[in-house]
Amino acid sequence: MTYVLRLGLGLALVVLAGGIIAYIVENPGVSSSTVLSSNPILGYLSFPGLASGLASGSVGAILTLGLIVLVATPIVRVVSGMYYFRKGGEREMTAISFTVLVLLLLGLLVIGPYIR
Amino acid sequence: MGWLWGGVDLALFVVLLILLAIAAGLVGSLTGLGGGVVVIPLLVIFFGASISVAIGTGFVTILATSSATGAAYVRDRLSDIRIGMFLEIATVPGALIGATATVFLTHANLQSALLIALGAVLFAIIPGSLARRHIELPPDVPSDARAQRLGLAGEYHDGALGREVPYRAARTSPALGVMFGAGVVSGMFGIGGGVFKVLALERFLNLPMKVATATSNFMIGVTAAAGAGVMLSAGYVNPIVAAPVAIGTSLGAYVGSRLLPGLRNRTVRLLFLPVIAALAIEMVLRGFGLP
Repeated sequence: MTYVLRLGLGLALVVLAGGIIAYIVENPGVSSSTVLSSNPILGYLSFPGLASGLASGSVGAILTLGLIVLVATPIVRVVSGMYYFRKGGEREMTAISFTVLVLLLLGLLVIGPYIR
Repeated sequence: MGWLWGGVDLALFVVLLILLAIAAGLVGSLTGLGGGVVVIPLLVIFFGASISVAIGTGFVTILATSSATGAAYVRDRLSDIRIGMFLEIATVPGALIGATATVFLTHANLQSALLIALGAVLFAIIPGSLARRHIELPPDVPSDARAQRLGLAGEYHDGALGREVPYRAARTSPALGVMFGAGVVSGMFGIGGGVFKVLALERFLNLPMKVATATSNFMIGVTAAAGAGVMLSAGYVNPIVAAPVAIGTSLGAYVGSRLLPGLRNRTVRLLFLPVIAALAIEMVLRGFGLP
């Protein structure tokens, strides 16, 4: 469990740090007000968009990946909890963990994209 | 209008954000209130960020704090994953509703309503935070049928008392109700949920303070993931702001949780609360369009 947290957070921070440095290098002379008024990752918030962005090495896609890893870390914790309860033969706690997992994925994959 | 509204060079902006987030992560972990309580208002007031960009960034601070400090608690057997998971069945739907409401309010151009509501939540945190019990161990209360069926009990080694301390959960139904409300607030603003969660864990489930705090730390990460999932995929998390804040908050929270445990006391909290009150007033004034 602690391993999941350290690895997830560490990975997210490394990817985000690399992405932000690359963004600064790629956008010389850009001011903070420009950055605040537009979100550079809107094109990468779908599976095909993210995949093609990563394949072409786009900085926005890398930053999106870092954010996804950050959000996914607690979700992986829920998955490992579900595995633990299932191994112990606790059906009700397994069902509760599974419901929490489904709701988390519903927010990320269905509700968010739908209301954008 | 923020102080930096005219815009500063991007590299300087990123450095300033990292420094702000280190301070916020440090203070947030020492007080147990989380870095977002400072980061969100300061992004709006000093950096000229819109309230929705600031809220999207708030989720990132919670995710970073929970993951950075959570490893220690799980290792110390303080965080009760079973009780935390059981209560997430209420906080996660709350957070999905809260985050959806924030996105709709932004779409409807009702950012001023968000500012006023955020100010109100910051005010609500203050008495909740002061009211935290200082009794080391709660009096024993019988668990209810649901808590017994799910095995919502455990024990932990209390270093200060030098012994194993058993505990068991009580009053699970009202606790689920409070947790749903905590989820809605967390989902709307990315902040505030932790304070209400600790209150529910202590007051309703009757858990020892240390177990309540550590379990809340597990829970805020999962609840924030629900809200952050909606905000990220709806396009409200701006990585140019969120990335430096995630890096800084993690550093600050890590240092705060490891190197300065002796400072985690009432004094820090009392010093910090007037700052939150000032930020809350500023948010409400802005919401009403006052300078």
